[in-house]
Amino acid sequence: MDELTFRRTIYADPNTQDADVIAAAKADPSKQAFWNEVKALDNQIFAAAQVKVPENLADKLLLKQSFEERHEERNKRPWYIAMAASVAVAAFLTFNVMQPITGNALAKDVFAHVDEAYMEKEMMMSNGKVDLDQVNSKMATFNGSVNGDLGEVVSANYCYLDKIKSLHLIIKGENGLINMFVMPEDLTESLQETFNSATMFGTSFLLESAKIIIVGEDGEEVKTVKESAQQTLRFSA
Amino acid sequence: MSTYHLGLSYELLKKEKIIMFSGKKKSTPSVSSDMMKKQKRYEALVKALHADVYRYALWLIKDKAIAEDVVQETFLRAWKSLDSLKDEAAAKSWLITILRRENARRFERKQFDLVDIDDVSVADPNDINNVALEHRELRNIMSGLSEEYREPLMLQVIMGFTGDEIAQQLGLNKNTVMTRLFRARNQIKDALKGNEDIGATVNG
Repeated sequence: MDELTFRRTIYADPNTQDADVIAAAKADPSKQAFWNEVKALDNQIFAAAQVKVPENLADKLLLKQSFEERHEERNKRPWYIAMAASVAVAAFLTFNVMQPITGNALAKDVFAHVDEAYMEKEMMMSNGKVDLDQVNSKMATFNGSVNGDLGEVVSANYCYLDKIKSLHLIIKGENGLINMFVMPEDLTESLQETFNSATMFGTSFLLESAKIIIVGEDGEEVKTVKESAQQTLRFSA
Repeated sequence: MSTYHLGLSYELLKKEKIIMFSGKKKSTPSVSSDMMKKQKRYEALVKALHADVYRYALWLIKDKAIAEDVVQETFLRAWKSLDSLKDEAAAKSWLITILRRENARRFERKQFDLVDIDDVSVADPNDINNVALEHRELRNIMSGLSEEYREPLMLQVIMGFTGDEIAQQLGLNKNTVMTRLFRARNQIKDALKGNEDIGATVNG
């Protein structure tokens, strides 16, 4: 085997099992030395290629898949459920057009923020887990604090509702996710005490200097979270 | 390597999803175990290969955030079509095929992203280069290789692909691949040598 072919083969694959290459290296110590040198370089290339992998990447991949699975399931609901939902939406819209409620823009924004895809995005941003300190540091923007157990908070992000900066918490309930919005009371439009969409129940109430809005699929659970918010949240003017 | 088929009918799959993800407890244990098998298989795939797949993506894309996005899309697609992977031994090639397609799709989606990636070599020096000092020089050189050399090299070094496997991935013939691998290492060697010479001059 000539020198050039030998070198090219080694350079292309330092771990080659090519019989001619092995024989050539055995016959010629300088070829063997060259081979060893390239192998050493390749070990360095391998080591340099081992860039750091984000620590929680595997968890994120598994988490994202489980979200996706839920999402697909929703899309595969039978037609009559879709039909029923359309009827409900149509009924809701008709009702709204006939009897416009105050705080409509705010309610619209609230429902936009509890859209499933939107919530997933928010939860991804928080890595699916938020501790009390993180919640409190965001609450501080509204002069508020959490004193006690609010439930398992899986996401805490600022949002703009009707152009007003608000805090959007997502709390894991027993029957699904519950959304809690904290807004400064003095800036907000009024919103009915209870309101709902085709699939969601909402309630809004004042707590000292803040307005709290809670929205979820399960009306009972919304009520439970409202009670725990009234007990654990404190706001100063 | 074991080859197994999940053999789930569509109807069963649908039922199963309802059980697993809406939290309603209907008991159909056999279906449930098939679904668990798919879940286990996916988890094994993620755990075994996510690190190498990410590393390959980062070397290909040279941007941490985009690389991570592309890896997420890749595994999501892998989950969706996991039933089409019949042989676990082929999992690596299968994932890399998905990843390269996802990466290509990125360029289709955003035409304005279509800059020559080699012109923005080491766009963010922290992405590939915030490393132990001894590797920094080599990483710089590797990331400076043009994509046609960098990609086959990384497939060989990180993914452990053979010349034939690389040829298949890149749609090239094997001779071309071997030539590119040869040139890739040759360029690295020359660059290292070049740096040494410069260092000598500076020190002298």
